[in-house]
Amino acid sequence: MKRRTMETSLAGHSPKLIRSIERRLFLKQGLSLGALALLSGCELTDDEGVQRLLMGMSGLNDRAQGWLFNPNKLAPEYPESAITKPFPFNAFYSVDEVTLVDGKDYKLELEGLIREKKPWTLPELYELPQTSQITRHICVEGWSAIGKWSGVRFSDFLARIGADTSAKYIGFTCADDYYTSIDMATALHPQTLLTFRFADQVLPPKYGFPMKLRIPTKLGFKNPKHIMSMFVTNEYPGGYWEDQGYNWFSGS
Amino acid sequence: MKPLQAIALAAILAAGTGAWAADAPAKPMKMDEPMHGEMKKQSMKKGDVKKAAKKKERELKPMIEKETAGSAKK
Repeated sequence: MKRRTMETSLAGHSPKLIRSIERRLFLKQGLSLGALALLSGCELTDDEGVQRLLMGMSGLNDRAQGWLFNPNKLAPEYPESAITKPFPFNAFYSVDEVTLVDGKDYKLELEGLIREKKPWTLPELYELPQTSQITRHICVEGWSAIGKWSGVRFSDFLARIGADTSAKYIGFTCADDYYTSIDMATALHPQTLLTFRFADQVLPPKYGFPMKLRIPTKLGFKNPKHIMSMFVTNEYPGGYWEDQGYNWFSGS
Repeated sequence: MKPLQAIALAAILAAGTGAWAADAPAKPMKMDEPMHGEMKKQSMKKGDVKKAAKKKERELKPMIEKETAGSAKK
C-alpha cells in the first residue's frame, strides 16, 4: 500500500480530529524522547529490564484508559457521502495473501465463561437482528478512513450466548493466526458490532470475511478480522501486537 | 429457516465469494518473508504471528479450561 503523508491523510478531516491526532503524536513523541533520555546507551529492543519497565507503564496506561472509558459516550457517526473510497487494506501480509474462509463450513467456536457454547454457523448469525454504522477506523500507523459496517450488536450476541459479562476480557482468534482481546466494557459498548457486511455487501475477504469485530472506540488493530473463535475470561489474554509492546487498551 | 431466506442466504454467500474471486486470487502466505505494514519491527516475519498464536494457545488453554471448570461447579 502506498504510504501517505500526514498532510494527505488528514486532508478534509475536521479540525477537532486533527487536533486529537496531533495531541496523540505529541504525547507519543514526548514519551519516546523521555524513554530515549532515560535509556541513553541502552539497546531499546533488547534490554529486558527496559522492556519490563515499559510494559509496566503500558499496563498503568491500560488501567487509566479503562477507568476513563465512558461506556455511554458514542464515537462520531458520518453520512454516506463521507465514506472513504477505496477503503484501505491493512494487515501484516499483502492483499493477495488474504485468508479465504469457506462460508459453507464456517462455525464460530465459543469457549470460556459462556453458558451456551454451541458453535454458530453463518446462516444462524445472519438471522440475528442487524444494525449499521458509518464510523472512522483510526490506525495506530497514523491514517484513518471512514467505512460502513453492518452486523449484530456485540452486547446482544453476548447476552444471547449467556456470556459472563462480569468477566474482564474477551479474546479472539482469527483465521490468519492473528489474535487479540478487549475489555468487557468495550465489548458491551452500543457501537461495538460483530459485523458481516461492509458497504452493504457481504464482508469481502480483504476486510475480514466471514466476520470482523468493529469497535469505533478503539484503534484498528483491536478490530479482529476473520474471527474463528472467541472466549470470555478473567485471565489476561494479551494479543499479537499487544505482546510486542503496543498498548493493550488502545482507545481511539 | 424458511426456503426464501435460505435462497437469499445462498445468493449472498455466492455473491461474496464471487466478488472476492474477481478481486484478487489468494495465494499461500510466505511465512519467511518480512511482515507488511508499519507496526512491525524490522526483523519480524509473517510466520512470527502463527508461532506466537500457537505459544499463546498453549499458555491460555489450560488456564481457561480450569477457569471454565471452576465456574461450572458454582
